[in-house]
Amino acid sequence: MDQVMSICCYCGCGCGLYLQVEQGRVVGVMPSHNHPVSQGNLCVKGWHLHEFIHDPRRLTQPLIRRNGTLLPASWDEALDFTAQSLLAIKEQYGPDRIGVLASAKCTNEENYLLQKFTRAVLGTNNIDHCARL
Amino acid sequence: MAGLATTFGSGAMTNSINELSSAQVILLSGSNTTEAHPQVARRIYDAVDQGARLIVIDPRQTAMASLAHIHLQLRPGTDIPLLNGMMRCILDENLVDELFVEMRTENYIPLRDLLLTIDLNEVTATTGVSIKDIARAARIYARAQRSVICYCLGVTQHICGTANVQSYAGLAMLTGHVEREFTGVDPLRGQNNVQGACDMGGLPAVLPGYQMVADPVVRDKFDRAWGVCLSDKPGQTLLDMTHGAGSPGDKLRAMYIMGENPMLSDPVLDQVEATLDSLDFLVVADLFLTETAARADVVFPAASFAEKNGTVTNSERRVQYMNKAIDPPGAARDDGWIIMELSRRMGYAMEYESSAEIMEEICLLTPIYGGMYHDRLIDNWGLQWPCSDRAHPGTPFLHKFSFARGRGRFQPASHVPPAEPVDSAFPFLLITGRSYHHYHTGTMSRCCPTLNREHDKPFLDMHPDDATRLNIPDGSRVQVTSRRGSCKFFLRYCQSLAPGDLYCDFHFHEAPVNVLTLSARDPEAHCPEFKLCAVRVEEVI
Amino acid sequence: MRRKQWILHKDHLLPFLRKLRKSRSLVAPVRNSYGDTMYTEMNDLDNESIELAEQPQNSLKSFFFPQREKLCHYSVDEAVGDSAQAYRFYPSLPESRAVVYFGVRSCDMFAVMYCDTIFLGGRERDVYYDARRRNALFITLACNHPFENCFCNAARTGPYLEMGYDLQFTDLGDRYFVEVDKARGREVVQQWPQFFVPAGDDDRQAHYQAALESRGLFRRQVHVDLAVQLLDQGEEPQALLAELSARCQDCGGCAFICPTCTCFNIVDQPLSDDRGERVRTWDACTFDGFTRMAGNHNSVQIISQRVTKRFYHKLRDDVLRHGRSSCVGCGRCVGMCFGGVDIVRFIDGLCAADDKRSEKREDGHD
Repeated sequence: MDQVMSICCYCGCGCGLYLQVEQGRVVGVMPSHNHPVSQGNLCVKGWHLHEFIHDPRRLTQPLIRRNGTLLPASWDEALDFTAQSLLAIKEQYGPDRIGVLASAKCTNEENYLLQKFTRAVLGTNNIDHCARL
Repeated sequence: MAGLATTFGSGAMTNSINELSSAQVILLSGSNTTEAHPQVARRIYDAVDQGARLIVIDPRQTAMASLAHIHLQLRPGTDIPLLNGMMRCILDENLVDELFVEMRTENYIPLRDLLLTIDLNEVTATTGVSIKDIARAARIYARAQRSVICYCLGVTQHICGTANVQSYAGLAMLTGHVEREFTGVDPLRGQNNVQGACDMGGLPAVLPGYQMVADPVVRDKFDRAWGVCLSDKPGQTLLDMTHGAGSPGDKLRAMYIMGENPMLSDPVLDQVEATLDSLDFLVVADLFLTETAARADVVFPAASFAEKNGTVTNSERRVQYMNKAIDPPGAARDDGWIIMELSRRMGYAMEYESSAEIMEEICLLTPIYGGMYHDRLIDNWGLQWPCSDRAHPGTPFLHKFSFARGRGRFQPASHVPPAEPVDSAFPFLLITGRSYHHYHTGTMSRCCPTLNREHDKPFLDMHPDDATRLNIPDGSRVQVTSRRGSCKFFLRYCQSLAPGDLYCDFHFHEAPVNVLTLSARDPEAHCPEFKLCAVRVEEVI
Repeated sequence: MRRKQWILHKDHLLPFLRKLRKSRSLVAPVRNSYGDTMYTEMNDLDNESIELAEQPQNSLKSFFFPQREKLCHYSVDEAVGDSAQAYRFYPSLPESRAVVYFGVRSCDMFAVMYCDTIFLGGRERDVYYDARRRNALFITLACNHPFENCFCNAARTGPYLEMGYDLQFTDLGDRYFVEVDKARGREVVQQWPQFFVPAGDDDRQAHYQAALESRGLFRRQVHVDLAVQLLDQGEEPQALLAELSARCQDCGGCAFICPTCTCFNIVDQPLSDDRGERVRTWDACTFDGFTRMAGNHNSVQIISQRVTKRFYHKLRDDVLRHGRSSCVGCGRCVGMCFGGVDIVRFIDGLCAADDKRSEKREDGHD
């Protein structure tokens, strides 16, 4: 069993914990004793962090809506279709008619890339996230 | 956020979480700390065990309120008159820290003039809190050497959220309880990287590190780094986007939503639904097929936190590194890969070989993250921003020597009545919030069997006196109706609420509370008035 | 008579462990790069550091009884209809690997023995626990220096063990004093005799001296025996339990970190419409859902009695059932609780109330 250091994905406390990994599955969590916030304990959500990761309802492939229904597709299809659609809308209506929601659940690096994408590629400042909710 | 930014110059927690244990007085407002921020509650228990005094301002009798030495159980939405009352008492009893006010603040005279017009009897009439309690709380808070204020969404999610925050900041400045270890004003952030998403410029008016889009010098720096010409027009806010605000010419035609679920989290869901349905193109990246993803044209399967490397920033501004533990399931990929691939296909190559390389670019362009290189964050507990360069040790508490904006600015405020007062047709005030066992829209937490067992259905909390009067038994199915819509709950008797107030949380798609809530919001921070709306309750037979 | 006491020079510890690792996995307290010490499966003996001066923050519980364990998977044959026959179960037993647990503290060894009575002592053996437990070898380390929150002396599980281990090591400065209890330990000494020399009288004296000194080093005085006795006499400290319950924040951390809390829940997790997994997960008696019945009735008043079951189970019910308290005095639950509701606080409160009463009684006699 491996212990992989991570940060709890729920609230803003940012507890340090170890994910216990056995054969590619997270089977438990252990709070870090020395971490300045967790100090050896987690709340009920943190202690059950591993339970959703392997939920069978997780999305495992890209989906594209065809004739009103979301159907599995390849990454190439999904990405190409998205790129073309966004370019077409930008072309036709201008960049400020596209909006982007960043995520308080994603990493700093991902949020940085998304706002860079929004500003540099789409060409708009229409980016926000649920900080106020 | 906007409230603290305009008074102190920075919208983040001024202290570290651990500093709370050593405070002498803790003033806690609008936070059900034991449920929403258990680690903060733990520090408060520690402090109280060591002799600290606890003052709680909350319309609900929370666990923290039961522990408190003074519980100011105010009427919902009356923070400003209550704080003006406290500040008036501080003025009357000569407890103002005049030297601090003179050395470190500005705009004090208008506040003093406003306070001198305050009638404490009127304050009591508005807030429902006795003059004696207000004066006691003011005295305890002002007299201690190490007093700290913690607040949460109970303060900000109001039509006057910004003014509420400014009033709390004013109280701290008036008594000199800021700019030091163990004292300050600490907003508790709700999500694990909400601080980071703001820091990274996931906001319409600012680039990473709160550098203004409107500032040509800033834009020039980013133009050169990114090889583009950036738009100088601040973008639309979340609610403008999801509610399709503005003229028809501003309405969005396409959206890219990364890991958010506005179809459950945003107020007035009918309007959100109409907006999303009106789009020509919607793409969503998420772990699950959320209510929002189900409406998309394209859905990208994303990686969870355990399946990627990167950093997140907690409430105390601590940037921490997360290690990848396992591979994503099936063809799911991390959001960074998705964005890079999409960008490449749209003609703008983003070629980063690792998240560490992305961070190097962030360090280069973001002064407050200047020294946050990954190699400095691995094998330790991270660094707290501002951290300007490689040699900088990070900043445990903010505003040492002076406020980030120079002088702290007092912003006098007067009472703003709730946007939707109760009346005979809608006689109850509904407060919404988060429960202990679930998280936000429940996308993750409701997939955890243990959490779901502990809390498996949407409850509406009501004081037993009200329930008896309406003749509704505990556990009944009830329908709650506001001017905008209705949804169904299970009634739960709850002594901790004042009669006339109701409480429910928003994690359940079976009871999408935000069909009830208002779109009214704070004019500066655009925070919706989630905490209050007028409703009526009927038993479902 | 077979010799039972040996000396292993410290220089030979790593070579000895390297030999043991040839046919077994090695679990030992390892200090990681974040400064946390945990019982960890070692992949690299030379580049990971075994830490014997710190208390491992986890116990051995999760090695035999993981937080989440798949018991079997099942399929449903729709064609058979709604009856029980539609279900097919395919058990999945964990691999029964040979593992040596090195540097195990006395309290943790005692906890494994307690778990053995729970999972293997009844009429039905728990096959999942058994599979992980069967081929385990325990080399314990007597505690010469108890940690900050330890009270194994009061719980009578340490600091030195008299039985239950395969080998017990005692640190005598430059060498370990090695005692053999179980046959598996004897086999190890026989298999690698080159590492062990017979212990002499000086060694035995030094060993006794170390044991004597360690008893004086406990920083906490916890009256476990008195608490057990008071509860046995029918003491019901309602006010104390209500006070502690009000401060409990329902995290379950005390039960999860406890080496002897063995309650679990079993849930079926569908993987698709016609198949799924049956999983067992750790549970805690402080949770509302632990005792809540259909129709929302709960035999436990969750506000005022949340922690009652936990303390009574440890200090009263297990004494009746197994002859001794199941709190091993490791102190892990101390200092980690959000509300400060740990077993030491309960025992202290219980005994303090009794002290007050006795004082009153004595005053009365005067």
